[in-house]
Amino acid sequence: MSDFASQQNDFQRGILTGDESVLTEILDSPKEKREILFGVYKHAYGSRLVEAMRNDHKLLHGYLGDEMFDAMGHAYVAANPSQHPNLRWFSQALPDFLKSTEPYSDHPVLSDLAALEKALNDAFDAEDATVLTLADMAGFAPEAWADLRFRTHPSVFRLDLWTNASAIWLALKNDETPPDAVALQQPCHLLIWRQDVTPMFRDLGSEEAMMWNEAAGGIPFGVLCSMLATYDDPDGAAARGAGYLHGWVTARLLTGVSVGD
Amino acid sequence: MNVASKLRDSTAAARPGRPAPSAKPPFLGFGLGLRAQHYDEILNGNPPIDWFEVISENYMLPGGQPLRVLDRIRERYPVVMHGVSLSIASTAPPNFEYLQGLRDLARRVEPQWISDHLCWTGVHGKNLHDLLPIPYTREALDHVVSRVQLVQDYLGRAIVLENVSTYVQFNNSEMTEWEFLSELSRRSGCWLLFDVNNVYVSAFNHGYDPHAFLAGIPADRVVQFHMAGHSHMGTHIIDTHDHPVCEDVWELYVAALKRFGRVSTMIERDDNIPPLDELIVEVNLTREIAARVLPPPILHAR
Repeated sequence: MSDFASQQNDFQRGILTGDESVLTEILDSPKEKREILFGVYKHAYGSRLVEAMRNDHKLLHGYLGDEMFDAMGHAYVAANPSQHPNLRWFSQALPDFLKSTEPYSDHPVLSDLAALEKALNDAFDAEDATVLTLADMAGFAPEAWADLRFRTHPSVFRLDLWTNASAIWLALKNDETPPDAVALQQPCHLLIWRQDVTPMFRDLGSEEAMMWNEAAGGIPFGVLCSMLATYDDPDGAAARGAGYLHGWVTARLLTGVSVGD
Repeated sequence: MNVASKLRDSTAAARPGRPAPSAKPPFLGFGLGLRAQHYDEILNGNPPIDWFEVISENYMLPGGQPLRVLDRIRERYPVVMHGVSLSIASTAPPNFEYLQGLRDLARRVEPQWISDHLCWTGVHGKNLHDLLPIPYTREALDHVVSRVQLVQDYLGRAIVLENVSTYVQFNNSEMTEWEFLSELSRRSGCWLLFDVNNVYVSAFNHGYDPHAFLAGIPADRVVQFHMAGHSHMGTHIIDTHDHPVCEDVWELYVAALKRFGRVSTMIERDDNIPPLDELIVEVNLTREIAARVLPPPILHAR
């Protein structure tokens, strides 16, 4: 390793681990000791990353308060050194961290709240795409509908939560006192997407959630209707399927439709 | 002794097959760093700002509102791209995925120039998201020159590099920061972004005269000034960009104008971001001081 590379290695290790062997390579200033001056970099590292997490997870920050959020943030920073040049992606693993790390894993609502905020952040700057319109759909003959397959907008994300995190999110967003966290007997099916420039989400019933998942996986409309028929009145399955589809098109959730494979 | 002047030469122009050095970027006037808090006001009011500098990484995204806003601002104002993650002085291999993202954004924005910092941000696959200092050694200079040439070849244009605020100095440095920057610019063909505040901060922290820095930089290589605020800790200064420009930095700006002449200048605020009007007052002050210091034929020449 070159001297230059070795020096960068020592400097980075000093910031990440507190090993201060790099101090033998740097100078005191006329007014301050090198320990204090190197400490500027050590302090800036953690505080800058936690600040980025506060920006990405404003409502989780509000829910936990400064002290708990920052303690959690520094634990995340220690466990997940940034590997991406863009700070935008630093907190992507936060929901998984909260789900798998004590004491946060004892409170599943924290992971759910982080997952919802992450999904909204991801929708905000997801890829742009031209959306499907009702006029596009009207161009297909009735006999072609059974074979229609759909492409979903890049900003759309499906999330199943087993806590009331979405109700807590809404209360925090409206500056209201959030309800107590509770575990749900049945999952809450959320659909998150961006409408124009604004990220949003809504609850889906279990039937519509199933249809969305399968449609996004490329299952054609005719098969989707057969699947719907196993959930509720079989005679109304096609009408329910068409209704869900109408809602997705008007909410600008689809970007393409094709016939056949 | 100027050690840098005795170093072997490997200028971009001296290499066969390498493109001719880029023409010097144009004078843009007096600008401001674009921040999301001001999007609506800028788009609705077309404020009298000559140009905007954008943080490249804030727009190296798949899509959505940030890129749409940038497109609209680009239709009305000249734009310069300023990055924080190029890590040009890192001894780790370059991040080519990052470079590709930077090139893609440049194709969309068509900026007047692309700048970043003379620093490194991490090694071993990690990113510390800070502008970390380097030793001013011959070895480091050779390394950074070769990296700048590679990046310039990749982007197809000369880049602009900024002096950073530093809090430590290495005991193996063989030249001053200004000697290092001057040689880097001469050998690689990159242009220089002279951050007036950073010179002030580093000069205070390391106990040298900021005017020696000014005098040591070749005037014809400087294409941009940054003006910003900082936080004074008594024994050292931290470059926080969360305050208005202080009196001492305004004085150094006057000296920089006298040394470098007419240079595209901008106000850079990254934290405690005030209403746009307050920043426009500072932008106007950069303009007024330049008008006072520089003879009109120089300030208004095309």
